[in-house]
Amino acid sequence: MTEQHPIVATPLPEGADRAYAKSIAFRYLIASTVILGASGILGMILRDSQAGAGRVPDAWYYAIMTAHGLGAFVGWGAFAVMGLAWWVMAEAGFPIRRFGKWMAEATWWLMVGGVFGVVVTCLLFKFGGSWVFLYPISLYGSGVWGKWTAFFFTFSVLLAGLAIVTWCVGILHTAVGPALGAVSKNPINRYFTSIGWGYLSPKRFATTGKGVPYAVIPLAVIALDMIIATLPLAVMLILLLVHTFVASVTVDPLWAKNILWWFGHPVVYLLLFPAVAVYYTLVPKKAGRPLVAGNIIAIGWAIAVTANVIVWAHHVYIDYPSGTIQASLNVISQPLTFSVTVVSALSLYSLFFTIFRSNYKWDTVGTALFLGLFSWFSAGLSGMINATIAFDQVVHNTLFIVGHFHQMALEGIGFAIIAATYAWLPEFVGKKLYSDRMGRWHVWLTFSLGTLNSIIWMYQGIHGAPRRYAVVPHHWNALNEWAVPVTVALVLAQLLFAWNIIQTIRGKGENREVRTWQQVAPVVVAKAVVVSGVVVAIVVAGWALGRHVGQTSAVAGTAPAASAPTTIGGGTVASGKTLFTASGCGGCHTLAAAGAAGTVGPNLNTDAPAFSKSVDRITNGGGAMPPYGKQLSAQQIKDLAAFITASSGGSDDSGG
Amino acid sequence: MGRIAIILIIFLLATTALAAVFTVWVAMSTRKQRVQSDAETHKLRETEKAWFVIVIVALVALLFATIFFTPYGRSAGSNGQVVKIEGVQFAWILPTTPIKAGTPVEFDLTSKDVNHSFAVYTKGGKLLFQVQVMPGYTQKYVYTFKQAGTYDVLCLEYCGVDHAKMQAQLTVTT
Repeated sequence: MTEQHPIVATPLPEGADRAYAKSIAFRYLIASTVILGASGILGMILRDSQAGAGRVPDAWYYAIMTAHGLGAFVGWGAFAVMGLAWWVMAEAGFPIRRFGKWMAEATWWLMVGGVFGVVVTCLLFKFGGSWVFLYPISLYGSGVWGKWTAFFFTFSVLLAGLAIVTWCVGILHTAVGPALGAVSKNPINRYFTSIGWGYLSPKRFATTGKGVPYAVIPLAVIALDMIIATLPLAVMLILLLVHTFVASVTVDPLWAKNILWWFGHPVVYLLLFPAVAVYYTLVPKKAGRPLVAGNIIAIGWAIAVTANVIVWAHHVYIDYPSGTIQASLNVISQPLTFSVTVVSALSLYSLFFTIFRSNYKWDTVGTALFLGLFSWFSAGLSGMINATIAFDQVVHNTLFIVGHFHQMALEGIGFAIIAATYAWLPEFVGKKLYSDRMGRWHVWLTFSLGTLNSIIWMYQGIHGAPRRYAVVPHHWNALNEWAVPVTVALVLAQLLFAWNIIQTIRGKGENREVRTWQQVAPVVVAKAVVVSGVVVAIVVAGWALGRHVGQTSAVAGTAPAASAPTTIGGGTVASGKTLFTASGCGGCHTLAAAGAAGTVGPNLNTDAPAFSKSVDRITNGGGAMPPYGKQLSAQQIKDLAAFITASSGGSDDSGG
Repeated sequence: MGRIAIILIIFLLATTALAAVFTVWVAMSTRKQRVQSDAETHKLRETEKAWFVIVIVALVALLFATIFFTPYGRSAGSNGQVVKIEGVQFAWILPTTPIKAGTPVEFDLTSKDVNHSFAVYTKGGKLLFQVQVMPGYTQKYVYTFKQAGTYDVLCLEYCGVDHAKMQAQLTVTT
């Protein structure tokens, strides 16, 4: 290894190439920010419903959960960083050539189409398979969604998957283009040059210039990996689509799970790695010094490009069916997963020490980047728990995971997107940022509230609270009320972001003053105190409110309807009908009056159970049926039984 | 709360505190206006190699400290009890034969429809163990109940609209 001079990229000069990169990045950014707003509101509805404030019926809960997951992760996170990647390339001096432009356009349309399809199938047709829709759940809608809804949902996800592939092809085409300055004409050699191998072997991967700009490396790495990761998933999605017409075409569930995570792990890095490219580009600008990275960082990326596509099995640590090699795959996956963290450790070192003892600019962009780096560091540490088999058994599918990835995605990655928006949106539209002060408020509020939100989940999860439960079971609902004000304030804080963006685009911007730590230190400390105070006040107020709402809704739930048209045994038929649908009875039972066609349990139309039998079964369960005596009040059970008796023609043996 | 959960909380608090102290230290270092020196930048780049070694050593240490604690390949032995359990949207079909405390239980878990996860909790809400249940395969899990009593069974893999209601109770006798 020979030590080279620090690499400082030369951005594209003003002209057609730079203008195109601006316009395409701007389009991606605006579309993804709109999706962020929508997904954020859905997320708040989910969290508050889970906490008992504004309960959403279960079927809607899981449909919203599916839309929120795909919307926030793919529609916001992935879409935004994919757009920013085009601009990072321009800042590194890499023009998007004609083929790359086709790919950039195709990606935008595929992504918009995919997100639209997901929104329609989830929010209009209640597809609720969750964003991983583990095969074969999309075929088992329990009467909530049917095969055509599953078909169009799968098709929409396929569109988003294809968007990822076209983006990757476009990025690869851009990265290995003439701007790379690679001496070799061999595309494979040029690819490895673009991921920084010239820093390790300058002769074999020779360049005419100083070497590949650091920010290009993560983009070229993930562009190759995501093609490898996405193609098997695309094949599986196509098989699922074919299954709609040819029922004999199925997929093995174990293969399906592995293929899903073969894609599902790298797709996390589809967000992280371009975010790293943003950090590599912006942090040196704010610090006024080149990225403190030596040749060693190329080793980190060499590990990453390989390990990224072979560590998927850490998502299935607690799957090891008899007679399969899954347990061995899982064991190998732990050291491999550990190895993929090396690139994060090295990048965090480089970025933090680029800031260290520099004249760092603590404006909105600088603050967002810095808080993002801390969040990435912190979420990376909790990620080590998930990566370890012995620990994963305790936190798998608990709210701990939800807390971890919200911290990582919303803050570790999200702050790179937010910083990039504040830094580059003004440049994209050729205007000044509306308000740097408002930007700093937005960033600090998002950081404190987002972190608090994650801490609550992690605390509940580490005590065993399951994830993807429409209602958190009573053992773990201790901190629930706290989540309500936090999520509401988190969403409200984004209004500052929206307003800043709108006013910037409208050209209402101010002259930005760039300040140093010395100038802002007292203000930052004062602000931290005020923000914490406001947060605590909101939390306490909201806690009281949440408690109040929880109590009143509990009362409302048990209160009998004022006017009772038909009653049997003290149960109201009309209330029972609503409850039948809301409690998901139709998932297992057929009952024509409720439009239910479940086949797991007895058909209530033919079984026509007597009133007392219904009350007993609902309360105590029986056979495969779980007891509902704890979830439903005595009155609710009577209502249900009354409805079942009345609509199925069962005998009224209530004696009243 | 289990022993591992306590270890995890200590791990998280300790590492997060270190990360926070480090972050604040870096932030404070930018207080003074300085003249940038290439020599300092160069030195920091050299130190990254030491950091690389530290990271590798830490990862290898964590790997060896944890990799031997996996749930794989356990056996209930010859005197173990075999308990067959089937998951179905949205219920657990449990055996009628009693489960005994003190002797190893081999759970043979299958699913009629989608993916589920068999999680056993104490009445107090402490997670004893969880394992995934996949259609088309038999998943085994070996566990020895220390105490007789009633335990809660939850489904921990999202399985559809009534996922949260897929709960049951397991009775363990002496």
